[in-house]
Amino acid sequence: MENLEYERLAWALLYGHIAIIVIGGFITVLSQNLVRALVGLIMTLFGVAGLFFLMAAPFIALMQILIYVGAVSVLIFFAIMLTSAWPGGDESGTISVRKIIFAGLAAIAPAIFLGMAAILKPPPSFLIPDEIEVGILGRFFLEDFILPFELISLLLTVAMAGAVVLAFEMRRKK
Amino acid sequence: MSVMTIYHLVAIFLLCIGIFGIAYRRTLIGIVLSIELILNGAGLSIMASAQLTPAPNELGQVGTLLVMGIAAAEATLLLAIFLVVSRRFKNVEAGKLITMRG
Repeated sequence: MENLEYERLAWALLYGHIAIIVIGGFITVLSQNLVRALVGLIMTLFGVAGLFFLMAAPFIALMQILIYVGAVSVLIFFAIMLTSAWPGGDESGTISVRKIIFAGLAAIAPAIFLGMAAILKPPPSFLIPDEIEVGILGRFFLEDFILPFELISLLLTVAMAGAVVLAFEMRRKK
Repeated sequence: MSVMTIYHLVAIFLLCIGIFGIAYRRTLIGIVLSIELILNGAGLSIMASAQLTPAPNELGQVGTLLVMGIAAAEATLLLAIFLVVSRRFKNVEAGKLITMRG
């Protein structure tokens, strides 16, 4: 009896998070105000973090909140503030029906093909994933996956150096 | 329908709405928001494929972390590029940026 209730709770959590993701996604794409669109993106990111928790990967879910909600969203907010994309500015105004139709068609094509592939040929899967410890994950990173780990740090360093160089280049020209 | 299929359908939804946003949005920042949606869908799909199948779980978690790292690096660089573009062209609308010369 108790197990059944837990299972119901799990399904409710799953569909609740999916609803958050769907609503947030539509706000992100359709809102005319860019700050509001960013809030929609944050909503989606929280929903995906909840799905990571449900998949028994709490470390990745916390990383999702830390990196995406904490860092990437703030960066995008700075981009909104520092460029002149003010609310009610660039994104407002009517958008031609042709553009909406083309955008819809571009979105529907992968939905049909990938959705059919996911529904018709699902690989065997379990209902309940097992959780692995963070220590095992760290060992995996530093033993088997040391090269991608180092490469991603190199990528971050290069991206940051490139950002600084770009910003300083502009100042020197002035 | 298994749980993994549901997760994959959510990931496909994120991909499709991201593609819709890239085609629909007018400013570069709106396009970046859509790209973040797509990257998140990719992470979700990788994670579901590894956690709910016999594949090793570490692989999916590491892959998702790498996707997040790439997204962070991309956001850093794009912020600088938008700064330069907005100073040089006075706006960030994708349709109006038609020259590469400064």
